[in-house]
Amino acid sequence: MRKIRLVFFTILLSMGFLSAQNKQLLYDFYEIPQSLLLNPGVKTPYKWHAGIPLISGIAVQAGTSGITVNDLFANDGLNFTDKVRDKVVNGLSQRDEFGASVQIDILNVGFRNANRPEDYYSFGMYGELSVTQYWPKDLAILAFEGNANNLNRRFSLSHLTTHGEALNVFHFGVNRKVNNKLSLGIRGKIYSSIFEAKSNSNKGYFVTTPGENNILRNTLVADVSLKTSGFQEIIDNDDSNQDIAGLLLGRAFFGGNLGLGFDVGFTHQLNKQTFLTGSLLDVGFIYHSKDVKNFTLEGTASNEGIEIILPESFDDLNSDIWQDLVDDIEAQVPFETNTDAYVSLRPIKLNASIRYNFGEQKQKTEDCYCGTNTDLSDNPFDYKNALGGHLYVINRPKGPQAALTAFYQTRIGKALALKGTYTVDKFTFSNIGLGLNFQAGPVNFYVLGDNLLGYRNIPDSHYASLQFGFNIISWNSN
Amino acid sequence: MKKVFYYFFLFILFSCADEQNFDQFDDLSVVPTLATGIFYFESPEDVINQLPPGNFYNQTFTFEAFNEAFVSERVLDGTITYQLENTTSKELSLLVEFIDAADTVLDSESFTIQPQPAPSLERQIAYGNGDRSLDILRNTTRIRVTSENLGDNTSQSTVNEPRIILRSSAVFRIRLQ
Repeated sequence: MRKIRLVFFTILLSMGFLSAQNKQLLYDFYEIPQSLLLNPGVKTPYKWHAGIPLISGIAVQAGTSGITVNDLFANDGLNFTDKVRDKVVNGLSQRDEFGASVQIDILNVGFRNANRPEDYYSFGMYGELSVTQYWPKDLAILAFEGNANNLNRRFSLSHLTTHGEALNVFHFGVNRKVNNKLSLGIRGKIYSSIFEAKSNSNKGYFVTTPGENNILRNTLVADVSLKTSGFQEIIDNDDSNQDIAGLLLGRAFFGGNLGLGFDVGFTHQLNKQTFLTGSLLDVGFIYHSKDVKNFTLEGTASNEGIEIILPESFDDLNSDIWQDLVDDIEAQVPFETNTDAYVSLRPIKLNASIRYNFGEQKQKTEDCYCGTNTDLSDNPFDYKNALGGHLYVINRPKGPQAALTAFYQTRIGKALALKGTYTVDKFTFSNIGLGLNFQAGPVNFYVLGDNLLGYRNIPDSHYASLQFGFNIISWNSN
Repeated sequence: MKKVFYYFFLFILFSCADEQNFDQFDDLSVVPTLATGIFYFESPEDVINQLPPGNFYNQTFTFEAFNEAFVSERVLDGTITYQLENTTSKELSLLVEFIDAADTVLDSESFTIQPQPAPSLERQIAYGNGDRSLDILRNTTRIRVTSENLGDNTSQSTVNEPRIILRSSAVFRIRLQ
């Protein structure tokens, strides 16, 4: 029981936030090797790199749309139930969402092929935990107000959309400098799912209407499902002494449900100062066949209560008409479970950016996207200052979501690079982010913070994101 | 370089937060008002005429809607509405009894309605808040319906499809939080 509570408490906690999984600060910030995970075709000015295990890349994102913690819990003396009714039950729409994601780069290593220096290989693994909950508006109104004062209103079951999962991703990528103006990259991925729960594409409604015979009629039309994998074994072992951590760890290392996917990306130099990049991430799937338990509610039932209509009901004098009614409803809208395998598509993400470099560099650089065999040890970067725009689109359960970012990058000396961003998306129009990359000899440290204006009053922020990590990097020098 | 780090951590250090009171959650009140039909009784006059005057229908059936733990533990108050229509040519009575698991009649509602053209009868019975005890609903596991013909079994109303109809529904508030 303790473990069940732990699982659900974790999910509920996470429901207070939202994950958009946009990493606009890291994207094309190629001083940081983890930018390869966002575009396998990004520039790779490294001879080799090695992330410091477990802390080479930690990314935490959380947020809400439509409401903030402060909206509800500010110590403002207002009636809490009124706040919930006005700002949550009536204030949010079914497109509002809550979510969070955590990504930990467990291992991240890359090296340049000595025999073919235009190729840069990178591999590693990262763990990811994410939860997304769309606001089930109609069901919330039904729970808050009930059906008595909502006659003829259809409470839609399609508002029920949720997704949560934990997985480990093993990846291997090849980045190839095709020529002085074009780099391409591809990354293959093996997904090792730890657990997943999802409910989407639900249909149906509940409605109370004047009855045909009786005063009221309740009607349920349902086509609802919740698919899960990886939970049942945890729940079943609740009272045993089995090492749950060991169980989860085993799943993270190919012991769970597996999937395949890939990323592709490119960087193209349009002219001396302008670069176009793009990437498509997580084109893949996970096949869930182990420890699957799915729940379904499907059918149509209408009920006006117990009906006694003579003379037909004389035949029912010795039958349990209440139980017959219950049985009829359960037969019409059966709540069932199954262990059918299912496929989950990964949330495909699209990145595209254009970057314009300007300003004089203090160190000598080539006037092109320089070759890896060029001496770049002094400055392997192509910009002093850069301005650009970045488009991010992710495929979500209720359709694609986009974010648009304007950014400015600058390098200060040899050691420091800064990136500032302004991002507009469905959650906020005032997302200003700042990224800092610091290079001390071979040691690389970066920290990227999003929606900094939200720090003026953190509980009133719709979105927060923080990424940081440490790497050891050897820059191109051969 | 030191200055950059200094300002960054200063920024984090001086980030602000309005005072929050998470104990407010305890004050949340979620009390939906639910409505449902309870039972529907209908008998055509020709069926009544086929039986001798007096009691023509009596049945006790299980009814555990209010007795379900989810409802019985949370119900705050409720109202049961009855609607009675008689388009037959005879005076009729109906008795609805709420019975617990020990066969004790906890509550009853009796209706007598005149022959057609008697007006429809509607009665609302409140439970809780100083009206009838909510324990009646909480402990009801069965309902008995008894119908009695107080007239003859030969007359026939002139209206189309004469019958006696008893409709019922319940509206009750439950505390979810």
